[in-house]
Amino acid sequence: MEEINNPFLEKLLNDSSFRNWANNNNKNDVEFWNSWIENNPDKLDIVFTAKSIVIGISFNQKLVDKNYVNDKLNVVLNEIQQKNNRKLATPKKKSDIKAYSIVAFLTLALLAIIFVFNALNSNHINYKTGFGETLNLKLSDGTLVVLNGNSEISYEKDNPRDVTLKGEAYFKVKPIYSTHAKFWVNTSDLKVEVHGTQFNVNSRKNKTDVILDEGSIKLLLKNGENKQMMPGEFVSYSDEKITHQKINKAIKYSSWRDGTYIFNNTPLVEVMKYVEDTYGFSSEFKDPKIKELIISGGIPNENLNICLSAIQKSSGIDIIIEEDKLLISLTNNH
Amino acid sequence: MNISPEKSTWFLFVQGDLNVFSSLFKGYYPILHNYGLKISENVSLTEDCLQDFFLYLYENRENLGEVNNVKSYLFVSFRRAIFKKLKKERIFTDFEEDFEFSKNFEFSPEEIAIQKEFTSLQKSTIAFILNDLSVREKEVVYLKYYSNLKTNEISDVMGISYQSVLNTLQKAFVKLRSTAEKELILAVLKG
Repeated sequence: MEEINNPFLEKLLNDSSFRNWANNNNKNDVEFWNSWIENNPDKLDIVFTAKSIVIGISFNQKLVDKNYVNDKLNVVLNEIQQKNNRKLATPKKKSDIKAYSIVAFLTLALLAIIFVFNALNSNHINYKTGFGETLNLKLSDGTLVVLNGNSEISYEKDNPRDVTLKGEAYFKVKPIYSTHAKFWVNTSDLKVEVHGTQFNVNSRKNKTDVILDEGSIKLLLKNGENKQMMPGEFVSYSDEKITHQKINKAIKYSSWRDGTYIFNNTPLVEVMKYVEDTYGFSSEFKDPKIKELIISGGIPNENLNICLSAIQKSSGIDIIIEEDKLLISLTNNH
Repeated sequence: MNISPEKSTWFLFVQGDLNVFSSLFKGYYPILHNYGLKISENVSLTEDCLQDFFLYLYENRENLGEVNNVKSYLFVSFRRAIFKKLKKERIFTDFEEDFEFSKNFEFSPEEIAIQKEFTSLQKSTIAFILNDLSVREKEVVYLKYYSNLKTNEISDVMGISYQSVLNTLQKAFVKLRSTAEKELILAVLKG
């Protein structure tokens, strides 16, 4: 039964999307692997063995008690100290105070080294999503971020409340009441400053759109102006112009988080913009009239094919994928 | 220059920082204690060995050579230390390989947590199947799921190839899965 050198098993085990499927972690990966298995029934056995290996066996760890470990540590530390004392043949008792101050000084120096090390080591953290992939993140301050497809977020490890965003993300910022610590989102056009609230930021195509769901936020624009936003408002800003308005109810801007874009009497041309941003295509309309077709309803955004077929069905059009282009035409009724 | 937190911890330890030493001790003592017990089935031997081991680490910190992965380094060297100790205890035996010194690496049913993967199996059945593996194979399973080591770390610690770690895991889980399926079918037939 033992198969030596099974490169396929190894491939599965090292594939992060496969591990996501095994742990039921990421909707895209789950769907992908479910359909992959359907198409490859001969691999069923090895796939499920790999799944078992990923999930593994959970053990109740019977570990020794903390106090017990501390006792053992003290024994070892005492021994270390005794050996050190023997080395530093101590002539006078009075030098003990001196020794303590030296120890204190050394401890401080070491703390300073640790501090400098951490500063030097300012770990840059970066998350990036591929086309059609969404990512749920929890920053170390408790803030929740949902990163939309084809987007990137980065921050310094020791400062998770100052992030830089390319693309689109939804933020649910954890308020810190004791210090009123601010949270910043930087895009190429502006800086969003908040305390604790929920909002959507989309910075694509040389402009940044911000939609506020809750609380209040302040925008520090690249041109030096500041702008205060109220819940339910929408601000779009690029170098040239700023739009500040109540949310257009036609588009539920943040609905992408739940895996669906919800449209309500939205022209097809607007709908296609979302598809372009999420999957990295450009669309080409065979007939300009098609652009004005009105779409209502939810379009799943997790999988390009499902997404496109939903649009095709709801609007009576054909979409053909040609390299990085979507060719859109009216369905011919023969 | 990019220094990982692990490397800077180790650097400070080598510099003689007792705070860093203490946190390494607190972090690794419990899991190494457990590991040592599995190998030796002897509490006092394990604890003696651990104490000597940490003391040795501290005193020889400047001559330990390059350490890239603290966890696997500590597991490897502690494993070596405990085998050395076991060897001393049994001067009259003459085993070829280290692992032959270790006891059974037995898993008890109480150690197995409730889990989603093999729901049809009793904990005692899982323990029974695991205990049916060879000592070396049990150690692989232990290091992987009990101590949460990565496959390449296990291969470092046990001095076996990456491939044989995978083969062992495959073997263990094929067995578990087929038993689980049989039990499931039996349960359905009974019901």
